Amino acid sequence: MNRVMASTRTFNFFPALYLGLSVTAVLATTPVDAENSDILARGAKSWSENCARCHEMRDPMEFRDDLWRPIVTHMRVRAGLTGLQQREILAFLQSANNRMPEPRGNVTDSGVPTRSTAATDLSGAEIYQQTCVACHGQDGTGAVPGAPDLTAADGPLAQDDGILLRHITEGFKTPGSPMAMPPKGGNPALGGADIQRVLGYLREKFGAASQ
Amino acid sequence: MKRSSRKPFAVFAASIAAVALSHDVFADATYDTLKSQVDNLQNQLREVKDQLKAQEKRVNDADVYELRKRIEQVSAQSEEWKNADSVVHLAGYGDVSYTDGDNQNGAVSAVRFNPIFHYQYRDLIMLEAELELELEENGATANNLEYLTVDLFVNDNLALIAGKSLSPLGQFRQNFHPSWINKLPTAPPGFGHDQAAPVSETGLQARGGLPLGGNSRFINYALYAGNGPILEIVGDEIEAIEAEGRTSNDDDEAVFGGRVGIIALPQLELGLSGATGKVAGEDEPNATRSYRVFGADFAYHWRTLRLRGEYIEQKVGSEVASAAPAAAKWQAWYAQASYRFAPTNWEGAVRYGDYDSPHDSSDQKQWAVGVNYLFSANAMAKLAYNFNNAANGSAADDDGFQLQFAYGF
Ligand code: HEC
Ligand code: HEC
Repeated sequence: MNRVMASTRTFNFFPALYLGLSVTAVLATTPVDAENSDILARGAKSWSENCARCHEMRDPMEFRDDLWRPIVTHMRVRAGLTGLQQREILAFLQSANNRMPEPRGNVTDSGVPTRSTAATDLSGAEIYQQTCVACHGQDGTGAVPGAPDLTAADGPLAQDDGILLRHITEGFKTPGSPMAMPPKGGNPALGGADIQRVLGYLREKFGAASQ
Repeated sequence: MKRSSRKPFAVFAASIAAVALSHDVFADATYDTLKSQVDNLQNQLREVKDQLKAQEKRVNDADVYELRKRIEQVSAQSEEWKNADSVVHLAGYGDVSYTDGDNQNGAVSAVRFNPIFHYQYRDLIMLEAELELELEENGATANNLEYLTVDLFVNDNLALIAGKSLSPLGQFRQNFHPSWINKLPTAPPGFGHDQAAPVSETGLQARGGLPLGGNSRFINYALYAGNGPILEIVGDEIEAIEAEGRTSNDDDEAVFGGRVGIIALPQLELGLSGATGKVAGEDEPNATRSYRVFGADFAYHWRTLRLRGEYIEQKVGSEVASAAPAAAKWQAWYAQASYRFAPTNWEGAVRYGDYDSPHDSSDQKQWAVGVNYLFSANAMAKLAYNFNNAANGSAADDDGFQLQFAYGF
């Protein structure tokens, strides 16, 4: 579908208008699958690249999901973003609010659903590249306002695993910090085991031991 | 559980036997003690049985069913918000400024409230409207429709926009002017109303983005056809060019123009603007003359450092039939840097600006230096000092400072 969109690149007004109107009808009814972590990863990247260009970065957890929708539409018009960027950024911002994973599948005999920690099969490095890099940067020193320098000797990684696991899982905000760390980096698909692996990766890549 | 519940029975049976055998032998007191012990044991037994029953009852199918229904209801309700076809949203900003200068009294000099209303139908249409309510010197309130547009999303790369919009030329007016975004309390010289930079336009716009291979590099564009500005003529001179969206077009000639921005790196945007058309004086609609705009701008940010700069000029040609026959040109540029001293919330800002108009008396060169405190991304306090250089004795020549509180929502 996106290929169809991209092919209307040449600005040929009336054909574009005609094609556009017909495609828009389809587009308006195609919701983004917020569970798709690829979209979330691209959305986080696009958000980190575009949403600090004109004003200070607004915290992804500042607004309710339904309010982000008109805001991102407003910003698409203002900043001349593409519809694709708009949908990806919106998916990321909406997922950043999810404190709890959706209850998934597994129902026991008694009919009581168990809280499963559905995990991906990605390695720590892959999770970091997909979900964390947009804010924490390739080198771990932080790519957006408020993201701490993970490589600093007395930085966040000097803390216990317990605290870090909780902060990554539940999200947290230091008083006065310009932005919160979203729960699971805004990717609700990550399970407990994933968080363990990505923390292991942080320690190995940026921690005191690596220096 | 079974084994341990047998024990009280054994004790109970033994006690009964003992009581039966020795009733005559023991005194009544002993009998009473034993009886109360037996009663106690019976009570305890009953409690244990009740507890067992309660535990069995705690979770049954009907309860689970009820709970599921409830969860479905609640989650359907919470999805309602997200999936409604029509959304209403209130945004905007407000600010309060205090000014004190060389030849003026210190006063609270501006109180403004700019609500923005958004109505969105699916991903198809959005209506955006901003009002500006501003307190005037005499305490009355001025109101102004800053913009009102209906935006139709044609496809991923094109939106059609009709109505009054902020001028798509240049970047200060459309991207940076709201007080919670502007790093200094004032607009750069030449970027205010009726100066070098057009403020707004009524007409039709095509806006959108085109990817340049991948998602990170792209072009944004805004092309428009509009009613264009009007000239204010006083005596034999053009007093000002009023480049504000209006719902009349006295000279019957449209203005065409636009801006193209290139995001070559995610941190850097470069823009070029231009417009062309005809313009006439307010009271002489037939004395039309050429109108041209040219602009160039850049915005760069890296971590908490922001660099911005912009040049804009508006030119009108000569026209013999006009009371003010001479050609005229307004031009302005500024360069600005701001830096937040992370991890603190303090920010420094400095800007140089130069405005040149056909009237030497309104020309101005200005250094503005400011210190900001960011309470959050959308709320800040700004303190700035302006060093102005203009025609001697003019108000534009007075140095002064401003204190401003701005909040965007
Ligand atoms: C081209 C400059 C520009 C870019 C890029 C930009 N914004 Fe904005 N943003 C603005 C302006 C200007 C306003 C104020 C709107 C007004 O006053 O009309 C604003 C307002 C907002 C607001 C306040 C609510 C509202 O709807 O007015 C939020 C929140 C916001 N932007 C978030 C974002 C996000 C998220 C992104 C990334 C998708 C983004 N901005 C990218 C210029 C920009
Ligand atoms: C949307 C941007 C964003 C994303 C995505 C993100 N973080 Fe963060 N992270 C932050 C910010 C901002 C902070 C600092 C918050 C504060 O101090 O208030 C932070 C802090 C942290 C800290 C320091 C915790 C502490 O106790 O000081 C760790 C560890 C961390 N993030 C790990 C991750 C991991 C792992 C991921 C990917 C799963 C991730 N982050 C994704 C923005 C982000």
